[in-house]
Amino acid sequence: MNPFSPANHLLLVILTPLVGALAAWLLGSRGVSAVRQSAAVTTLITLAGAVLLILRALPEVTAGHAFAVSEGPWLVDGPFDIRFSLGLDGLSIWLFGLSALLSVTAVMVSWEAIKEKPVGFYILLLVLESAMLGVFAARDVILFYVFFEFTLVPLFFLIGIWGHDDRRRAAVKFFIYTLAGSVLAFLGLLTIVLWNASHTGTLSFDIATLTTGLAAHPLPMDAQGGWLQWWVFLALFAGFAVKVPIVPFHTWLPLAHVEAPTGGSVDLAGVLLKIGIYGFLRFSLPMLPEATAAAAPWILGLGVVGILYGALVALAQTDLKRLIAYSSVSHMGYCVMGIAALEPVAVEGATLQLINHGLSAAGLFALVGMIYERYHTRSIANLGGIAARAPWLAFMFLLFTFSSIGLPGLNGFVGEFMVLLGSFQRAWGGVAAEWRTPYLTMAVASVAGVVLGAWYMLWAVERVFFGASRQPPAHDHADHGHAAPSAAEHGADGGHGGHGGHGHSHAAAEPTDDLRWYEWVALAPLALFVLWIGLFPATFLGPSAVAVRTAMAPGAAAFAARMGAPHDASLPQTAQADAATILPGAAIVPSDPPLTAGLERIP
Amino acid sequence: MTQTSLSTFLLAGPELTLVVAALVAYLGGAFCGLRQGWLVALIGIAAAACWPGMGLEAGSVVSSGPFTFDDFAVFVRSFVLLAGAGLALVQAGDQFRAAVTPRNTPRGNGTCEEAGTFLLLLAGLSLVASANDLVLLFAGLELVSIPTYILLALKRTDAQGQEASLKYFFLSLVASALFLYGLACLYGIGGSTSLAEIGTRLRSGDGRIVATAQTLLPVAVGMMIGGIAFRLAAVPMHFYAPDVYEGAGPGNAALLSTLPKVAGIVVLLRLLALGTGGTLGMIALNQGVVGPAGAAWLTFFWQLTAVLAALTMTVGNVMALLQTNLRRLLACSSIAHAGYLLVGVAAAAAADSTIGGRPFPGPDTSWTAALGGASATLFYLAAYVAATIGVFGALAYLGHRWPEWSAGSAPRPPREEVATIDDLDGLSGTNPVVAFSLATFLLSLAGIPPLPGFWGKLSLAMAALQVDWTAKATPGSRRVFFLALAVILVINAAIAAAYYLRIVAAMYFRSAKRGVQADGGLGAGIAMLAALVVMAMVTLQPRPLFSAAARAGASIAAPSTIGGFPPTPPQAVAAPQALIQP
Repeated sequence: MNPFSPANHLLLVILTPLVGALAAWLLGSRGVSAVRQSAAVTTLITLAGAVLLILRALPEVTAGHAFAVSEGPWLVDGPFDIRFSLGLDGLSIWLFGLSALLSVTAVMVSWEAIKEKPVGFYILLLVLESAMLGVFAARDVILFYVFFEFTLVPLFFLIGIWGHDDRRRAAVKFFIYTLAGSVLAFLGLLTIVLWNASHTGTLSFDIATLTTGLAAHPLPMDAQGGWLQWWVFLALFAGFAVKVPIVPFHTWLPLAHVEAPTGGSVDLAGVLLKIGIYGFLRFSLPMLPEATAAAAPWILGLGVVGILYGALVALAQTDLKRLIAYSSVSHMGYCVMGIAALEPVAVEGATLQLINHGLSAAGLFALVGMIYERYHTRSIANLGGIAARAPWLAFMFLLFTFSSIGLPGLNGFVGEFMVLLGSFQRAWGGVAAEWRTPYLTMAVASVAGVVLGAWYMLWAVERVFFGASRQPPAHDHADHGHAAPSAAEHGADGGHGGHGGHGHSHAAAEPTDDLRWYEWVALAPLALFVLWIGLFPATFLGPSAVAVRTAMAPGAAAFAARMGAPHDASLPQTAQADAATILPGAAIVPSDPPLTAGLERIP
Repeated sequence: MTQTSLSTFLLAGPELTLVVAALVAYLGGAFCGLRQGWLVALIGIAAAACWPGMGLEAGSVVSSGPFTFDDFAVFVRSFVLLAGAGLALVQAGDQFRAAVTPRNTPRGNGTCEEAGTFLLLLAGLSLVASANDLVLLFAGLELVSIPTYILLALKRTDAQGQEASLKYFFLSLVASALFLYGLACLYGIGGSTSLAEIGTRLRSGDGRIVATAQTLLPVAVGMMIGGIAFRLAAVPMHFYAPDVYEGAGPGNAALLSTLPKVAGIVVLLRLLALGTGGTLGMIALNQGVVGPAGAAWLTFFWQLTAVLAALTMTVGNVMALLQTNLRRLLACSSIAHAGYLLVGVAAAAAADSTIGGRPFPGPDTSWTAALGGASATLFYLAAYVAATIGVFGALAYLGHRWPEWSAGSAPRPPREEVATIDDLDGLSGTNPVVAFSLATFLLSLAGIPPLPGFWGKLSLAMAALQVDWTAKATPGSRRVFFLALAVILVINAAIAAAYYLRIVAAMYFRSAKRGVQADGGLGAGIAMLAALVVMAMVTLQPRPLFSAAARAGASIAAPSTIGGFPPTPPQAVAAPQALIQP
């Protein structure tokens, strides 16, 4: 047996963080620096392994096959044919890579921030990484669910122990909300399994088998069959919508984000929110196409509501971290909208937007953590003029802000543009006449979200980084790196710096508060990918294109059958004409199949 | 009529060993100054477990006299011995430490009596599992109940303890009476005390039986399930649990929340097999046939247990949300778990009440029995008992809080037990191993994957979902009923997580105020760690437990739904003197 076979490689990548967790535990007595170094080395090794694996996987995955498939035994010769079955395909490959990448960031941003109980912190962070990698690599329904739920446990402790003032409530609320949704999703998944078993005669939990099985024997979507598909769809929706979160199931998110330690926020915003959309793509669209098609307009509407609501609430925030948390609600709305549009370009855009948001939100949360570490405040009113003292920090913040608000040339633009393009295409030619107006209204309204997004983000940037310095002076990290300083410590810290006149005294100060080396390690890779995806999106769209279109094809076909209009020749064709001229990445790779192919409407 | 012979006694060897060990403990304690009663109990349990032929050949059925030894009986018996060892360790508490360091031995007052009584309880429970006769069934069940009263009364002599034991005693008497009345009705229908015989007649379609059954069956089922509901702490006989658990010590609370529930579930499954046949049907040589009386039996059975399951889960969880006292909270959670277990029982009754109609068409039916409610119930029972013993072991180990008392101030306040959630504040800092173990047990009870509780809830949900799978889901149909039951089950799992997490949050997210003494004794600590090891093993590899539960469940399920699992179909193996009289 080849120890470097793709399957073993994948297993190794998933297990490496666990080995690192063990190492961190053993090194616990050597003090905080040994522990964090071992955690950093572990995440870097995992990242290197993941990158190598992705490079190996690209040819196969681009062709639409699964890679590194393993069929490990678990309960296989017992009554339940549940397997420890792993593999990567176009849907999961980038999210898998993103998990490995953001874990490095999560460790690096905790470098100085976590001084209390560092052993437990890094162990949990590494266990969380393993679970995140496992969610995207799982090819068995139960294995997926096990990883899906198990991501909750480390994060529950990360928030509850190392979080800020209201951490206990945040941790419990986060756990209960997500669990309540996901147990229903669990029931839905079991129903799918049983349905497939009752028609094929074998009790299989393999996701690929279930997908083909349900394509051959769809769940009934009529009164005769008890609307079973509808019920299963709603059950899955309950689980995934809470995870995304889709408004109005989002109320756990701002609290959890704000109270979480920076490392936890990075993983939460960067990866865990993506599992919801990934679940829709993996299960709902291919397995329950009719119900998805029937629900699509409403989900699209919820997505738009989320975009606008998140943006409007973000506008009203005074706390920088809370503002970014609500911007997450808004930006995840584009992903929801993208998949609900059921238009190839929109779904591809949504999958890319998952990565984009993962990078920009993780970067922004990391930067907020760094600001908090320096000035012990996140209140926008108490911050100002940081650009003079920390120019690179300001640069990075600006970069991720522009990525987040969709500046052309950066990654956010590509994703949002494709989602909006797809939504307009759907509105113009893809729906029956009576649905055209609502669809157009929703598409137009979502554009307003872009404007609002630019508004609140730039407003915050202007307040925090430019103008007069308002915050108390920065503190030496070695002495004041607290995970959760109490109110009393706030007072003491502010006190010895002196409240009077520091607005002027620091305005022309040397940039001593700038990024440290570990903060560079945390942010530079994200910035690299922000630029890379922005300039060459085809690199990332290409490998997932076939898988995404295969996954959405049943849903799109059902939608066309249900409420699609026959192709209307009188409508303007410009939108479809040539995306290659619009998207920079596509222009550089003119023969790029996914983008142009993605624009062909499924009949 | 059945005869009894020496070989029958040989089959009941483990139970007899337990009884002998009990006698040694009683007599030794009374006359020889023996003080390490719990050590005797552990040795007795180990000896019982070593009995040759304890584990029969898989799939074989030996029936002799009032006994039936099949996979189900073997599963329950091994399980009872394992759980008994754990409970004995929890109960031992200080005494176990005393055995290691005899110099500090306190007056061993009562420990031998307790240990002997406990051994009798285990013997009774083991007998229930292998009973093939109404009389033995009832006697076994009483052999579980009576020692329980004694244990409750022996251990605690304060007012609260007295109240708990009296309450339990009187209510248990009522429950036993109800159950006995149900058995009398059953005898009236079947005209025999032999379970195999009654089952055969119920399923025979005999006109006279059907006529009697029409009037007596509802009474019989209702009375019996009412009586059993007390043992399970299921609605409507659940209300005593919080008071009694609070009044009993951690050791007795561990006992109360496990062994009577095991007994109740075992009896329910055995009685359910009257309708399905199971291994009893095999012996009676009329498998696969269900007369109207047998079908009615199963119908009453699933209807009643399903309603009770839905109520019990919800009531238990909602009550638990309101508790601050740990033992009251765990009592309420044990009510909820009784509800989960009843889901499996109901599914077992419903899935098998249409004999001949396999739940799934298709070539590979090897998993149908394994998916059944009986197997799921047994798996869940094992996961629940392991976690519960662990939780109470941990609580017993923690013992008392440090008092708020400084040397200057007089007088010294009385020692206070760890009783409320707040007492566990900051346990992760002061006792990290105990905190980690407790968190693992609680998360398993909450059903968080990949812990054993999750696998249990997975099999229960599967069992409930597959009832009447091929039937149309019309409103009011049995299928819809069980779909709703599955939904209630998982929603309750989410509700339950709320209060389990409160305990975990107290241990990990708060700082210690006074701390705990951890003076509960070595035995409880060992029980806790042993439970942790069991949890880890099932977590990493649930397959062996699944297979064992599937085999045991197949003894309960109707023969025609057993399919190809276990690999060799059960057959009546001739006992030394096979004595089966139809």
